[in-house]
Amino acid sequence: MTKAQQASRGDIAEEDVLRADLYDLLSALLARPPSRTLIDQVSTLEGDSSALGQGVGALSRVARAATGQAVEREFNQLFIGVGRGELLPYASYYMTGFLNEKPLARLRSDMARLSISRAENVYEPEDNIASLAEMMGGLIRGRFGQPADLKTQKDFFATHLGPWAGHFFTDLEGAKGSVFYAPVGAIGRAFMEIEREAFRMGG
Amino acid sequence: MSEDRKGSSRRDFLKLASTAAPAAAVATMAGTDDAEAAVEGGTATGYRKTEHVKKYLDSARF
Repeated sequence: MTKAQQASRGDIAEEDVLRADLYDLLSALLARPPSRTLIDQVSTLEGDSSALGQGVGALSRVARAATGQAVEREFNQLFIGVGRGELLPYASYYMTGFLNEKPLARLRSDMARLSISRAENVYEPEDNIASLAEMMGGLIRGRFGQPADLKTQKDFFATHLGPWAGHFFTDLEGAKGSVFYAPVGAIGRAFMEIEREAFRMGG
Repeated sequence: MSEDRKGSSRRDFLKLASTAAPAAAVATMAGTDDAEAAVEGGTATGYRKTEHVKKYLDSARF
């Protein structure tokens, strides 16, 4: 990436841009059934032989074969379902066994402190995985003001994602209904491990 | 300074780790567009945020 591109992205380091991109990608894939455009773009991605790279390569392969309708059906089966989906992608559920418990309350108070507010026409609880990934991406990129310093990122990750996101992505990877979403789970799991390790190293 | 050394090893680690998927940025742009488009809610295909919310509320009722 050139210096100019870096500056246009808010002057954050290249590796932080890549982290924010990955969080935003996970958020886009998990918030709603992906559009044809997104599926097509995902199908052009390439990865190396690392766990993360293999996940990206696998996602690209399934995206090339996927129809929008099948992916939408899979999304609904995983997250919406008849009665409920196969998975409940909420921090509160994974951390306490119940929805809307203390982890959600803590998240809301952290969001207020960090000047993050949810869009007015979104009614889903904020502690779902797509929203949390979007918030991490936004904190890194500075979408809610200045890019968040490392300590802020680390605290947010340790409180709201670290304790459960890896388990969720493992569940997603192994879910009965996962075809397109199995590699999304693999990418998320590998990325959460990288994040955990990186936060342990510095700041 | 030890702070600096910590910082640079973190950066080196992340640089190595994140080159695994250098093209992820491509899809991000689409994601952002989607996020803005999605707030409009229902389309011909039916299941959108409203359904998601409804099912969520059902599952929240113990």
